[in-house]
Amino acid sequence: MSDPVSLTDHPVREASSTPPAPGRSRHLSDRWLTVAFISPALLLLLAMSVFPLLWALYLSFTDYSATRGGPATFVWFENFTAILTSAQVHLRAFTTLLYVVGAVTLQTVLGFSIAYLISRRVRGRGVLTTLFLVPMMLSPVVVGLFWRFMLDAQFGVINSMLGSIGLGQVEWLTKQNTALISLIVVDTWQWTPFIMLIALAGLTAVPKYLYEAASIDRASEWFRFRTITLPLVWPLLLIAVLFRAIEAFRLFDLVYILTSGGPGVSTETLSFHVYKVAFLGFNTGTASAYGILMVLIVIVLAQLYMRYLNKLKED
Amino acid sequence: MRYPKRIGRLAAAMLVATTLAACGGGDDGGNASTPKAPADIPELTKEPLTLSFIWFDWPPAKALEAFANAEYTKERSNVTVKVNVVPNANWHDAMFTQFAARKTDFDIPILDSQHIGEAVTNGNILDITDFVKKNIDVNAYNPYLLAAYGQFPQAETGQRDENASLYGLPLLGDTWTMIYRKDLIGETPPATWDEMIAAAQKCQTENPGVSGLAFHQANGSDAAAVTYNTVNGVYGGNLWDSKARKIEGVINDAAGQEAMDVLVNKMKPLTAAGSGNWFIDEVNAAVAQGKACIAFNWIAASGGLLDPEQSTLGKTREEILGKLGFATLPKQKTDLVPLGGMGMHVSAYSSPEKQAEALNFMKWFEQADIQKKWAAAGGVPARTDALSSPEFLNAGPFNKVYADSVSRMRDMWNVPEYARLIDIENTNVNAALNGAKPPKDALNDIAKEQQAVLDSAGKKGGGGL
Repeated sequence: MSDPVSLTDHPVREASSTPPAPGRSRHLSDRWLTVAFISPALLLLLAMSVFPLLWALYLSFTDYSATRGGPATFVWFENFTAILTSAQVHLRAFTTLLYVVGAVTLQTVLGFSIAYLISRRVRGRGVLTTLFLVPMMLSPVVVGLFWRFMLDAQFGVINSMLGSIGLGQVEWLTKQNTALISLIVVDTWQWTPFIMLIALAGLTAVPKYLYEAASIDRASEWFRFRTITLPLVWPLLLIAVLFRAIEAFRLFDLVYILTSGGPGVSTETLSFHVYKVAFLGFNTGTASAYGILMVLIVIVLAQLYMRYLNKLKED
Repeated sequence: MRYPKRIGRLAAAMLVATTLAACGGGDDGGNASTPKAPADIPELTKEPLTLSFIWFDWPPAKALEAFANAEYTKERSNVTVKVNVVPNANWHDAMFTQFAARKTDFDIPILDSQHIGEAVTNGNILDITDFVKKNIDVNAYNPYLLAAYGQFPQAETGQRDENASLYGLPLLGDTWTMIYRKDLIGETPPATWDEMIAAAQKCQTENPGVSGLAFHQANGSDAAAVTYNTVNGVYGGNLWDSKARKIEGVINDAAGQEAMDVLVNKMKPLTAAGSGNWFIDEVNAAVAQGKACIAFNWIAASGGLLDPEQSTLGKTREEILGKLGFATLPKQKTDLVPLGGMGMHVSAYSSPEKQAEALNFMKWFEQADIQKKWAAAGGVPARTDALSSPEFLNAGPFNKVYADSVSRMRDMWNVPEYARLIDIENTNVNAALNGAKPPKDALNDIAKEQQAVLDSAGKKGGGGL
């Protein structure tokens, strides 16, 4: 420990000038060792994420079709222009917006309410939390399949229950006004626990002394919730909302299983439409541009949202 | 910090190299000209070989695998036949995504007749014209069946162009059968479409809890589209003018509008609530549970209706047959029925020895005695002699329906744009059936959107929207 300061100030440089340990090849310096360790992960990242993204970006400027083959001809921004001006895309964007707003709002309200109730309960909190998390652990395809049976108008358990209390049959998945609501309900059933979990973490972290001080001042329950609980949990809740909104924005599996986008195209989301463009007509160039635009929208909206979050934090 | 920079440069270099490599290889197989199969079957391997098919998951797929492994192996003991299945909704995607990769894990794709144009245009399947001339007795078939399951470009309905190329041979013939409750509407099936609707209406009124009709309405696969096309045909409509490539003004002419009106305003009210997403299985379930007076379904999917374990209509096959009748579709202005079924083709990306085995299998399968055995095993053959054979006619109560329907069949377009055309029709008919769109608007939208697809050939950018 003759010169501890120099070690901490220039750890890498010091490490690299250190002679290799006895038994290590003279050619295997720290530098090559670093590269050797990083390379597998780096190659995987390049092959599985970066390259496909760049390749899709390249294809988005072409009229390439995966099945037709042949050379990809550059059409520059034609695909982007066509997508942004297409009435079909606008319709799917509106459906997606309705879905995202509906699902995320419902999940946030329910998730926070459940978390709030659980946080006030001392006994059995762990068991309750675990039980609430079960839907989140299931595959969306499995969830879609069993909800499809439950929502079946003829023999589904939901209509059977409604019938037993004297209510008529509801065509959950085949009517325009109920199909999107059904999707929102199923997504809410599966993903409310996610919001609940994050809200619960926030609620548990609120210092108890704040509540004690409020009690001494004889503050009402509502006042404590409004001035202590909500402001402290709010930033964490907004992050959960961001995650859920991004997930909901790219919804595909539940639509595919439950409604196939129907009736007509009334529950077709943007992701489902991209799938059709990509695989029904194999318009790979258009589908790539569509995907790139969706990513851009998510990035821009997420950035704006993060700025709002940071501002909230500063305030 | 030199190393992160160097690592970054290294990563960038690798990325550029990968991209260049991919760019260089991106056009492999880009030449979409169709490869040809030899006229003579090349020498077959004596090594163990698995001949793979791809189809969707339904009873004929299981029947084919069992039949081929029992019979074909008598001639070729080193061969195992494997019929890979995917859900019906994924059938097109499962085949064409592999075609897109220019590598298939199947040797014999079983294509719907309408898929042929897309596969031929992209060079995905072999041209077997010379092989057929040398090895297949084309006169043994109804010319239209041979044309429907293998010919491209498509000929006029009911005709075969002798000069056109062939890309496949019939594997399974099929059409719709009318399934009716003899105990509820009587022994004699309705003869006209109007009579059928009236009988369904009366049956529904007299039997609470039983719906008058059950048919395909889903917006996946070709479900709702085939239903509309059937009614369109029966009411004298046309799907398109193939020579002029014209859809607008043809499908939505007066006959087409009448067909849509009959379907949405007369037939739909006789179906069960929530049946707007029904396809093959749901229609069969409704019949088997005694919940439908009259139903329409593909013949090849109707075998399960006679299984007492799946039916509430009787404890024996005979008891069920006492209640269920099978008939050809009623006539109205025409007697057209939908063409179903599929042909078998040879993947252009299969290995040479497997392509040779596939050709040998096709030659074997199309022999007269094998077609009769296939009929006895539950298949629907295409050879005229097999269709009129006792083996076929006695194998199921609906087989005579098929034999009587052959001369009445009409198919859809088998152009390369098929997948998009069918999606447009499916979603719009489904919307009309479920009240999401007025029927007239739905039909006009079909005409407009389908015409736009046909007209967009050669358009740069935004294809597929």
